[in-house]
Amino acid sequence: MNTTQGPGSDPAARSARVVIVDDHAIFRSGLKADLDPSIQVVGEAATVEQAIAVIAQQRPDVVLLDVHLPGGLGGGGREVIAGSAALLPATKFLALSVSDAAEDVVAVIRAGARGYVTKTISGAEITDAVYRVAGGDAVFSPRLAGFVLDAFGTAPADIADDELDRLSARELEVMRLIARGYSYKEVAKELFISIKTVETHVSAVLRKLQLSSRHELTKWAAERRLL
Amino acid sequence: MTTVPARLPLVRRSDRFIAGVCSGLAAHLGVPVVHVRVAMVLASLAGGAGVVFYAWLWIMVPTADESARRQARRPSSPIAPAVSRETVPAAVPWAAAPAGGGIDGIAPPSRPDGGPRTDNASPRGLGYPALGEAAASASEPVRPPWFRFREMRYGKEILLGTGLLLVAGILIAQLLGVDVPLGTLIPAAAVLGGASIAWMQLDETRRAGLVDKTKADQAGGWARLAAGLALVVAGVLVMVSGSGSWEQTWLALLASVAVLGGVVLVLLPWALKFWRDLEAERAGRIRETERAEIAAHLHDSVLQTLALIQRRAASEHDVVRLARAQERELRGWLFADPGKDAGHLSDRIKAVAAEVEDLLGNAVEVVCVGDTAVTEGHEALIQASREAMLNASRHGGGTVSVYLEASGGRAEVFIKDRGPGFDLQHVPEDRLGVRESIIGRMNRHGGTAAITSSSEGTEVRLGFPAAPQDSTEGKP
Repeated sequence: MNTTQGPGSDPAARSARVVIVDDHAIFRSGLKADLDPSIQVVGEAATVEQAIAVIAQQRPDVVLLDVHLPGGLGGGGREVIAGSAALLPATKFLALSVSDAAEDVVAVIRAGARGYVTKTISGAEITDAVYRVAGGDAVFSPRLAGFVLDAFGTAPADIADDELDRLSARELEVMRLIARGYSYKEVAKELFISIKTVETHVSAVLRKLQLSSRHELTKWAAERRLL
Repeated sequence: MTTVPARLPLVRRSDRFIAGVCSGLAAHLGVPVVHVRVAMVLASLAGGAGVVFYAWLWIMVPTADESARRQARRPSSPIAPAVSRETVPAAVPWAAAPAGGGIDGIAPPSRPDGGPRTDNASPRGLGYPALGEAAASASEPVRPPWFRFREMRYGKEILLGTGLLLVAGILIAQLLGVDVPLGTLIPAAAVLGGASIAWMQLDETRRAGLVDKTKADQAGGWARLAAGLALVVAGVLVMVSGSGSWEQTWLALLASVAVLGGVVLVLLPWALKFWRDLEAERAGRIRETERAEIAAHLHDSVLQTLALIQRRAASEHDVVRLARAQERELRGWLFADPGKDAGHLSDRIKAVAAEVEDLLGNAVEVVCVGDTAVTEGHEALIQASREAMLNASRHGGGTVSVYLEASGGRAEVFIKDRGPGFDLQHVPEDRLGVRESIIGRMNRHGGTAAITSSSEGTEVRLGFPAAPQDSTEGKP
């Protein structure tokens, strides 16, 4: 698990190169205005093809990616991540969506996005999320945490279970607190652990969400018309 | 032209013995159906006139759903039918009966399969529905008369007329003492009868292609086709064998089968194309219905809200509130899980959150994990949650986070805000909000309530156990 602190570790000197992918020009310009000045928007794209081209050309630290995009084969954000697979470890994807649909959110996470936030969050929050993702961490909104708890179940893992198939008791606690609206800092305080440990747990959950082929997860997703 | 516009249109009804002719006629004339039936039987005894009349009406008069479909096929705008029939579930508008009257009252309110057939399923025809429905539809707008007649009217009329003239001619000839070769006429009649049965089958299949008929009806159609075919073949065989030897007959039969095979070979692609066109048309119409529903919904909700927002643009608070309410409504419509039962605890919590949001204007974000049916004790949980949300929205002043985790009766609700917080010890005794409405209420119903508050925010934690101990606890 990559927990080394990247640009996000030092608030004074942090900066990030970002590409915004969204088919609504109004939203792109609004987001650009909202982002912290230390974040450099190096490119914008409105379709799947444009996005893949811009990302390949600019190699940004973070891509702010809308889940629903026109163009390509109709796969939206998922397709952009798949098309940029070669850059994946260096370029992080943060999914932005107005969608509440579990299949949209989980699909883009499973494609490789490092987090998911709703489009209604404030500029400060999204700036924070960008740095967090740039630093290798995962960003979970309360809703994504809720989806995870729904998908994995709220019972802690047995020893016999496959490690990927269930959340550990600690991970469950972290997910619950995030779903309750706690920030990472508040989670850390509540559980008497460091923020870094919280980030580790969240990243572990993200990995499980991306890699688990767990029966329940498949079933859960299928019920919501995914996969 | 047998109808006066104010009358109920003449259609064959679904409450039928044979083809719904009598009941349709009764509804049309405003006469009890029994009278019509008796009259029909009496007329049948009078030289078969009733039978001929019945058959004529059977062929000429469309069925109720056929007629309804014709009317429904020309909506003035895609939105209009869906808007005006808001209470009718999705795909039904195509099949709403023209005789309107009590169908909404009789039919079950929700129809999960949503298929565009309803008429045959609705249990009409108890007693004398004719009079009541005639009265009910008297207030309906006058329908243009075109839909009552079919495109092939003249062809069929001429055919039937010719047949009747032939029969009359034969009868007269017999009366005049001319020897009529019945040996030829009977097989010919069989051929004619079989052909007409088969033609009716074509009519039915065309109908079945446009409306999703039940499988039983299709089986009936097949039986009819087989009967018609058998009659025709038998008639032809008798006719042909009467004029020559069996050997010749078999040869002729072989030849005709070969010719038929050739014809089928030629016509098959055409028939397949016809079938595909029909399917495409049907799919297109389903899409069109869906589109109309979406358009109607957007018109009813989003456009109205946008208009309101434009008028209230000066008040930021109102704009945010309207936008939130509309967002919530649209989300509910777009992302609602159709497989989930309605009215469970998560729905109730979401409804309460929506209410608080509307009341105070601050966003209330609800995240639900799991769900459970609402019991009596859960009502207290819901009310306590509402109180906590109100407090959080009022004093927190920002977004309120609500998290519900429920399974099998057990439920936990967390309500968190980021306001300045308060000290529970210093809440005045007379302030009942927290002490009574939240903590007291939960305790009385066997639940738990805890409040943690700091300068960074307040969180109310409500718990409700799975055990059904709430019923044994004291009631407020």
